[in-house]
Parts: sequence; C-alpha cells; structure tokens
Amino acid sequence: MIDAKPKSAGSGISSGGFDIGRLLLEGRAFFALILIIIVFSFLSPNYFTPSNLLVMSSHVALFAILSIGMLLVILNGGIDLSVGSTLGLCGVVAGALMQGVTLPTLGATLYPKVWVAAVLVCVLGALIGAVNGVLIARLKVPAFVATLGVMYMVRGIALLMTNGLTYNNLGGNPELGNTGFDWLGFNTILGIPIGVIVMAVIAVIGILTLRRSAFGRWVYASGGNERAAELSGVPVKAVKVSVYVISGLCAAVVGLVLSSQLTSAGPTAGTTYELTAIAAVVIGGAALTGGRGTIRGTLLGAFVIGFLSDGLVIIGISSYWQTVFTGAVIVLAVLLNAVQYRRRVKPAADSTGGPSPLPKRGDAVTADAVREK
Amino acid sequence: MSKKAAIFACAALALSLPMVSGSGMPAAQAASKGGLITIIVNDPSNPYWLTEGKVAAAEAKRLGYTANVGASKGDTNTESNLIDTAITNKSVAIILDPADASGSIGAVKKAIAAKIPVFCVNAEINQEGLATAQLVSNNAQGAALGAQQWVKDVGQKGNYVELVGAPSDNNAATRSNGYTSVLSQVPGLKKVDSQVANWNRTQGHDKMQSMLQAHPDIIGVISGNDEMALGAIAALKTAGKLASVKVGGFDGSPDAAAAIKAGDLQYTVLQPVATFSKKAVDEADSFLKTGKTGAATEKQLLDCILITKANVGKFTAPFSLGQ
Repeated sequence: MIDAKPKSAGSGISSGGFDIGRLLLEGRAFFALILIIIVFSFLSPNYFTPSNLLVMSSHVALFAILSIGMLLVILNGGIDLSVGSTLGLCGVVAGALMQGVTLPTLGATLYPKVWVAAVLVCVLGALIGAVNGVLIARLKVPAFVATLGVMYMVRGIALLMTNGLTYNNLGGNPELGNTGFDWLGFNTILGIPIGVIVMAVIAVIGILTLRRSAFGRWVYASGGNERAAELSGVPVKAVKVSVYVISGLCAAVVGLVLSSQLTSAGPTAGTTYELTAIAAVVIGGAALTGGRGTIRGTLLGAFVIGFLSDGLVIIGISSYWQTVFTGAVIVLAVLLNAVQYRRRVKPAADSTGGPSPLPKRGDAVTADAVREK
Repeated sequence: MSKKAAIFACAALALSLPMVSGSGMPAAQAASKGGLITIIVNDPSNPYWLTEGKVAAAEAKRLGYTANVGASKGDTNTESNLIDTAITNKSVAIILDPADASGSIGAVKKAIAAKIPVFCVNAEINQEGLATAQLVSNNAQGAALGAQQWVKDVGQKGNYVELVGAPSDNNAATRSNGYTSVLSQVPGLKKVDSQVANWNRTQGHDKMQSMLQAHPDIIGVISGNDEMALGAIAALKTAGKLASVKVGGFDGSPDAAAAIKAGDLQYTVLQPVATFSKKAVDEADSFLKTGKTGAATEKQLLDCILITKANVGKFTAPFSLGQ
C-alpha cells in the first residue's frame, strides 16, 4: 500500500525538459548573491578581495547564526521576536560574570572561568527560549505576542542590570585565571575568523538535524500541518518548546561572539537584529506559515543581505538608501516565494533540479513522516 | 505568474541602477591625489550630527580628499562594521564621533592596527594615546554657562526637572554634573525628577508628559540637548503650561534658534561643532603631510557660546555664529 517513492535527490533534469525559468526561480537566492558580488566588484576595486570577503563574512556570521535558530522556529509555524534582546542580555550577563560575582553573604568575589561563563550564558539563552516555548505551546499565547512581550522584558532586564552603561572590562586577569574571552572575537583559524567557523559548525549541525533526524521531520511536520502531525503521534508541544529553546541558544552564542568582538557588552546590543534574521529566512525561501525552508536557503539569504549592505557602505551610499534597498530585496523575495509555490502544481512527482531551497522536499518529508507513523 | 515576477524583478533593477550609478564612486578614487577620509557620525537625522558630517566632508573635499560619511546610530557593532569598511576602502584617516566612550575603544584599536590615524570629535574615548587627536566641546564650561542663564530665567525658588542624554555618551554625565554644580548652589531650587531621554525629541516629549503628571508645579526644565528640550516644549504646549515652565537646551541647533526667536525656549548653548569638525579635518591633513597635528595635546577642548534672544539673530549657517 505504501509505494516506495524514489527520492530523486538532484537528478538535475525535470521530467518535462530543462526549464531555465524554473531553474532561475529555484536558485534565486544563489543567483542574487552572485549578481550582488558582480555588481559591487565592478563598482569598487576593494570589494572582491579575500580580506574583504572574510570581513563581510564575519559580519554576516552573526546574523546567520540568529537566522538558523529563527528558521527552526519559522519552520514550526511560529516566530521569535525576542532573539535580539536575548542576545543583548546574554552579552551583558557574560560581561557581568567576567567582572566577578560578589557574594555579600560569603564576603567573596567569584571569578568564573571563561568556559564556565560561556556555558552559563548559553543556559540563560536556552531558559529564555524555554519561557517563550512554554508561553506559546502550553499557555496558547500567539507566538508574535508572546515573543514580543518577552523581547521587551528581556531588554528591560538588561538595561536595569547595567543602568544603560556597558561592561568594558572583558579581558580578564591572568592572576584570576579568567582570561581568554576575546578568543571568540579576535582569533582566526587558518585565516578564517572564529565567528565564521562557529556559523559553519552550527549550520552543519542544523542541516544534519533537519534532514537526518526524527526531530527534524517532526519540525517540518508540525509546521506543515500541526493537527495531522499531532494525530500521527508527533510530540508537537515538546517540539515547539524545543525550537524556541534552540533559538534562544543561538541568540546566546551570538551574544557571546558579539561582545567578544567588540570587547564590550552593552544592553542595547542586538536591537532590531531579529528583523534581519527574519528577513534572511524569508529571502532564503522559507514560508512564514511554516513547513517549508532549508538551512542552505537561510544562509544564502543572510549572505545576500550582508553582502548587499556592506557593498552599499563600501561604495559610499548613505545609510538611508541601505534600508530602502534591504526592504526592496525582502519584498522581492516574498513575491518570488509566492510565485514559486503557486507554480508547483504537480506534487513530489517532479524531480528536483537546481542548487537551492526546495520547498517540495519539506512536503515530501511531511508525507513520509505521516506514513511512517 | 512568472511574467509578473519577471516584470517586478526588472522594475526593481531598473529603479536601483540610477541610484547606484549616480552616487559616484568615491572608493574607486581612493588612489587619487589626497585619498579617502571616512567620517563616522552618530545619527544624521539630528541636525547636530548632520552638520558635523557635512562640514567635515566639505573641508576634506576642499583639501583635495574624497570623503565618505557613515552613520553608526549609536550602535557599537554598526560602528565597528563601518571601521571595517573604512579599512577595506584604504582610508588615509578616520574622523570618528564615538558611539560609546568605552565600547568604541576596540574599533579605534582596529583602525590604528591597520595604520589609519583616528581623530575623535564631539565625544571622547576613555583611553589616551590611541586617537591622534580628540576635539570636544568644553561641555563643563558650556553646562555652567547654560545653568547660570537658566537660574536668571526661572528665579531663585521652585521645583524643576532635568532631561538627561544617553548614558553611554560621557557628555551626558558631564553636562548633568555641570548643571548640578551650579544649581545646587541656589538653596531655593529643588530637583524633583530626572529622566533619560537619549538625546531624542520623541523621548523628551514623552518623558516630559510623564513628569508633568507627577509634578504639576514645576517652574523649569533643564535639558542635556536641544532635541530633548524641543520635545519637552511640545509637551508643555499641549498641556498649556509653556508660559509658566521655562526650558533650557544645549547644542545650538537651527530648530532651537527658531524656538528662541519665538520665545518658547529661553536659551541654548552653542557647541562649536562646525569649528571642530573643520579643525579635525585640518589636523588630519596636517598630520598626514607633516606627521604633526599642530595641536599641543591630544585632547582639545573648544569653548561653547551662550545663545539667547540677544544674539540668536547672528547665525549665518547651522551651528555657525557670525561676528
């Protein structure tokens, strides 16, 4: 009764012949990136140099990590507006820990080691994510409202902790054994900034999770059709809480990398970063309603936004034009998303060509997940 | 459907081309005679920072350089990215209005490591020996001038409130302390509230409204800058209390000058922003050509000028007072 459907992963030619329009549409994020690189290389000799590409990638890496967490939430049918504030609070808490924690009862000041501080900060990020998850999954608060409220609360806590000032002394003291915080921001491995490597590691983990693990299929399933997934035995509530926890964790990692890069942790860090993360997810081809999207597309989306913004700065265009361009790119991306999904009349029988986000795979996976239960 | 998408795509590209080609290519000319000077200000939507960027860019072009003006909007990450771009574009000098006195030190160190001299204007960084020069207004002198005038305007007795600027900017604390040092010497004047409005007009307006609700009997508002003062004036107008509550500002912006002429604002303190922006570029030029800025010390304080109804007519250009 269950037909074994051959999963034709990238056979390259569709059954109806080679369709250039369709190829362009499916690979649009990739081609957009190539177009941006070509245009700006032409406009400025400084753009397409190895050092500049690495610098731009380190700028992109922060948003890309946030976007990966955001993708998981959006795949699940939700949205997380609190990642920017979580990033700020985690940076501030890291700064506070590096200054030393004074315990009045014991009359002593604890100086946690750098790795201890990093772990504690990640736990904090995960906790904030858990708060979001519980509000949304168990208390049935709409995702937009819940994460909006958490966004304000977390930002307020960060401002209260620091009174609006920043923590600047993050270097640590060799005598106290807590040096090494700047490793994340300043070091390079084989010339590649650590931030970019962290992004690559998180992306690989994300791809493996989404494609190879049951959890990944559950995320797609409950995003595509929550009721059907629940009836098929997918633990929908647990998955929902988990994706918000992961998003909070990604925000904590970005908070650590950012405060390391800037050697300062301020409570206003990360303001409006959540909007850029959502934009990257959308440009990468994910559907805001859930169930469709890939990590590769999200990374391409983050690179498109980042390379475009940095390119505009390099050629000296005023910062106001940058916001206009970024907005135009987002609107264009959503339009093309709609075009692509409407075009796809025949379900998974079409094979997949082209190098990029394949929303059909999400549906095929959903169908499989349902059948396998 | 695909046709529509194609049309949209072409329209977007067509719209974007004139913007891109018309902006000129300053980076491509970086190899030309003078080189590129990158100017990083805070937020050009505030006329103060807009003038800062414009005057510096004009002076740089006059001396034969090309100029790029970037906006950090008070965010240290954006500022760090702009410094990265300045380094990528092979700037010969950077004129920087630091977003955070301590937080911007990392970005300045990055530029110095790339062998680009940094000249700070308007706000300082909390470390000497990094920037080649730091040109700031003498905020303490300006605040004392303003507070003395304010006492003349409100009298010797009553309650007042204060609007404070962004805490990450050292100038906010300097001005607030300057006001306190003068006003605390008048025993009849009592500060009943102080709110942070982050140099922003809307926040000044909203905070003023809240403070009026809590303290309806105040006789005056002293503000850290003109934008917040103008917001407070709008709130007072709505409440019908502008006649009884006197407002004082700081910066000397064109909008403040207009408000002084109209009688809404009592006074403002002109920061010599046009002077020090120009001077910073001149010192950069001198440093690049001779290795010396021509100034005796790294930190240079330029005096502020009190602006009241008596001399408000003497403005020749934004932030420039004629003689």
